[in-house]
Order: sequence, then C-alpha cells, then structure tokens
Amino acid sequence: MMNRTTTIPGIRSGFHPVKIVFIIILLSGLAVFPFVSGNRFYISLITEMMIYGLLAMSLDVLLGYTGLLSFMHNAYLGISAYAVGLFLIHVSPTSFWLACLAGIAFTCVVALPVGWVQVRTGGLAFALLTLAFGMMFHTIVWKWYDVTGGDDGLMGMPNPDISLFGIYIGNSGDPLVIYMFTLIIVTFCFFLTRRIINSPFGAALEAIRENESRAAFIGINVRKYKLLGWMMACLLASIAGALFILYKGYVGPSTMSAFAGAGVLMMVLLGGMGSLWGPLAGAVFFIYIQDYISTMTEHWEIFLGLVVIFLVLFMPTGFAGLAGHIRRLRKE
Amino acid sequence: MSGTLGIIVDITLNSLVLSGVFLIVAIGLNITYGLSRIMNMGHGALYAVGAYVGFSLVASGLNFFAALLIAPLIVGVIGLIIERTIIAPMRKRSMAYTLILTYGLMFFLDGSIKYIWGNKPRFIELPGFMQGTLPILGTDYPVFRLMTLLLIILIMGALMLFLNKTKIGIILRASSTIPEMVSCLGVNMSYVHMGAFVLGCVMAGLAGIIAGPLTTIDPLMGGEMLISSFVVIVIGGLGSLRGAVIAALLVGVVQTLAEFFITDLAMVIVYILMAVILAFMPRGLLGEGKFE
Repeated sequence: MMNRTTTIPGIRSGFHPVKIVFIIILLSGLAVFPFVSGNRFYISLITEMMIYGLLAMSLDVLLGYTGLLSFMHNAYLGISAYAVGLFLIHVSPTSFWLACLAGIAFTCVVALPVGWVQVRTGGLAFALLTLAFGMMFHTIVWKWYDVTGGDDGLMGMPNPDISLFGIYIGNSGDPLVIYMFTLIIVTFCFFLTRRIINSPFGAALEAIRENESRAAFIGINVRKYKLLGWMMACLLASIAGALFILYKGYVGPSTMSAFAGAGVLMMVLLGGMGSLWGPLAGAVFFIYIQDYISTMTEHWEIFLGLVVIFLVLFMPTGFAGLAGHIRRLRKE
Repeated sequence: MSGTLGIIVDITLNSLVLSGVFLIVAIGLNITYGLSRIMNMGHGALYAVGAYVGFSLVASGLNFFAALLIAPLIVGVIGLIIERTIIAPMRKRSMAYTLILTYGLMFFLDGSIKYIWGNKPRFIELPGFMQGTLPILGTDYPVFRLMTLLLIILIMGALMLFLNKTKIGIILRASSTIPEMVSCLGVNMSYVHMGAFVLGCVMAGLAGIIAGPLTTIDPLMGGEMLISSFVVIVIGGLGSLRGAVIAALLVGVVQTLAEFFITDLAMVIVYILMAVILAFMPRGLLGEGKFE
C-alpha cells in the first residue's frame, strides 16, 4: 500500500543536525566578526553581500520556485530605497520604522498592478515584460530630476536613530549598527522565506513551475498563486531596498539599471536556482569578485557577459547543484 | 516656417520612419523566435553592432550604399559564429536558460562595442545628394528620411517575396508550424534553426545601418532598441509577423506623438499602452505564433 511517511517533494521538514550546527557557527561568526576584526572595509562589504543576498533570494522565490524569470528585480529594491529616502528627507527625518514601512508599502503598491498585468501572460512574455517595466521605472527615476535627483541620485538623507519598544539601539549612520541590523533582518527573512516555501503555498508555486496546466487541473488558481509569488518576491526585495539605503545613505539610478539586474540574475545562477541558500552564497561570491575585478579593469561588462554565458553553458545548477552532486557521489 | 499642416505632415512621416525601424528590428526577433523558439536578448546589441560597423565602413571611405550591403553581412557572420558556438548546444534546454544566455551575450557585445569604439557618440556621413531637404505640403523634409522610408518598404517587400515565393521561404514557414513533419520530409532542422538565427541577425544589422544616420550612434542605442522591439512583439503577439507590422505602426505613432507633446517621459506612455493592451489581450493583438 501507500507509504505514508513519503515526503512530498518540496515539503521538507526540519533541519539536519549538522546543518543546525553549521548555521549556528556561521551566524555567531558573523555576529562576532566586527568586534574581532574592526576593519571598516570588510564590515561594509559583508553588509552589502547580505543585502544583495536577500535580493537574490527574493528573485529565487520567483525564478527557482515559481519558474518566472524577472530581469529587473533590482528595480523593486530601487523603488523601496527611493521611497525610504524620500520619506526620511521630506516627511519625517527621525521615524525610522515608519520610513521602512512606507518604503515597503509603497513598493507593494507599485508592484501589485505591474504583477497583475504580468501574470496574465506566459513565461516568455512575462520575462520580457519585467524588462520593459523595469526600464520604465529606471527611466522615471533617471528623468524625474525634481524628485529623485536624476543622475546625481538621492542625496542628503538624514540618519535616524533605531530604537525598538523605546529602547535605543543605535544610529543608522553607524556601519556597525547597520551591519548587526542587516544580519538580524536577513537571517529572519531567510528563515521566514524557508518556512513559507516549505508550506503548502510553496508546494503550489512549485507545481506551477513544473507544469502550469496540470497545476490548474488540480484546482490551483494559477494566476492568483503567480501573483502571490510575485508579491512575496517584491516584498522581500523592498526589505532589501530599505536596508540598502540605510547602509549606503545614498541611492542612484544605476542601482536600478538593467546591468545591475543582470548582476542579481547572475548571483542566483551562480548559487543555483531553487535553493534558498544558493543565491545567498552566489551573492557573497559575486560581490567579492565584482569588487576585485572592477579595481583591475573598466571593461567589467565584457567579463560579466562571458561569465554568464559560461555559467549557463557549463554550470547551470550553480553551487547548490554542485553540492547535490557531491552528496549523491557520497551515497553511491 | 511651417504651419499646422506642415507639422502634421512632419509628425506623420517621422512616426512612419520610426515605425519602420521598429518593424525591421522586431521582425528579425520574431523570425528567430517563430522558427526556433529562441528569444535573442542580444538582438539590440547586434543592431548597435550593425550601426557601428556601418559607421566604420563609411568613415573608411566606402560608398554608403555598399556599406548598406556589407554591414548586415558582417553582422550575419557574427550571428553565424554565435549560433554555432553557444546557441546550438542550448536548444534542448528550457527557455529560461537561453534567455539568460543571450542576456549574457548582450552584455558581452555591448562591452565589446565600448571597448572597440569607445563611449563617444558617432555619426554616419551621408552622400551629398541625400543631405538636402524636399518641400512637401508646407514643410521641408530631409531627403534621407524619405529614402529610409522607401528602403524599409523595399526590404519588407523583399522579405515577403522571400517567405512566400522561394523554396527556402516556404520551408521556413512550414517549420514554424509543424517542425516534426518538415524534419520527416528530409529537411535538416539544425540548418533551419541556424538560418533563422542568422536571418534575424542580418535584419538587426540592416536596421542598425539604416537607423544610424537618423540618430546618433552611441553604446546605449542597442538596449533602447531591444526594449522597444520587445514592446512591439509583445503587443503584436510573439512570433506573429503581421502582428508586428500593426504593433510597430502603433508604437511608432504613439511614441512620436508622446515625444512631440511631453518629450521627457515619452516611453512611459508607450509602456502604459502596452499594459492596457495586455490587460485585455494577454496574447497580444494577433495571438501567438502566426508566422506569415
């Protein structure tokens, strides 16, 4: 008869003990790092890695789990960053949580109608539309000089104090505070996303990725779930956006360009689609390499193109795929 | 200088020229997509390569009309190399991979353009008799733009003849509907795919050198054209050639009008147009895949 303990693919329960130990060591290592090292450069580099890791993870919810390709996911990071910055400049320079909330809410308000139009189309047209809409947001930010500062970017953002339930934590202008804050938020988002992806909701998304018409036959409302997946990805991207402007204190239109979008896509590819830790690892690797190569050559674009081509041709499953290979080899 | 009538004539002709350029780029994309289900993200960059190669040929003293023939051929050869090396091994994989692969190709080509020709805007020098203007209904219209219009009509006519009357054209059209059957009849599909990709690249190069003298040539032109042609083929219906004609006219007219009235955010209007059309017709105006 049926084996009741068979787990449904996609619904994974719990962590392996080795993984728990590894995660605890990694997290505590990251938490202790700034007090041990004190090197400002590495602190801000790791902050950037974590923020882009969150963004890459949110794109992976869309690409790896729902099977929808977005070329310009960074646009939603940018929108959120601009909204947070504008809120702090024009509305209230001190209310930190309200600004973050305003940024996230604004991004969702923008992303909802865009998603509504996009999920009406199929896989390929969806991808082309993300590019068109992303370019539209980029153009708006670039040309609307009075509000966004155009090419110069949004400058002069005040640094509000972060406090929770009346307890003062620190000023957001301090890299150390932002580092710890980013670490906590990204960790929280990672576990939350993992929980959501492993729920029946996540299984429905994966069903859509595997076969859209079959998913529709068993009663999944494909458009609704696609839209929910899209909104979830945009929500996570907007959290990354709020962290981004707090960390940089500045945001320019180049953050929202197609070029930056390709970078995010590459982080996901590098790490491997369909695993949440893969894109995080991809982001760490990508930011490090970018930092390294851009100091050597100005023709970073050619390298980016070549690396993307190479990855798709020879390593389409990324780091996560390599890890899977190793695991399978050990079992044999 | 010119009255209301002149402005109307100006806008009409301008939008026709713009539509024509969109049309040639979009048809190139649609041919590749309709025949081999490959959406080439590097198409815009190939268009830019066409313009830059044209510039170099004309600057080296070649006749403009000779450059008009040679530049697309050079782009076609580049396309052939690309197809054989990176696109052909990817045919069996899912669509997302080819999209990302050609996206990487786009950055590689754009980066190479910047490496070879630099960031400076360039201009294609026209032969003397095309530089003047011609008085039409109360406005002085540049001769070159009229020539461009004529050229685009000629190219579209030739393409129609090619697809409908020649044996190769008929094989191509048949493979877009039932590839298995065509393959059973003894046609090597890998050559059909190759031909479709190269034909698409030649169209991109052709559009590049035609559009070159209309605007300045700069490294950003490829990306802009890629987006515009996506808008055109998504509105018209993916892989639908007739849809592309209608959508190119629509987008060309709307963009010219928007540029005339509100200048800066003209593209936003085009995107809104696209969103409205897609909200009611998710598969585009003429539906997907009507390859004729």
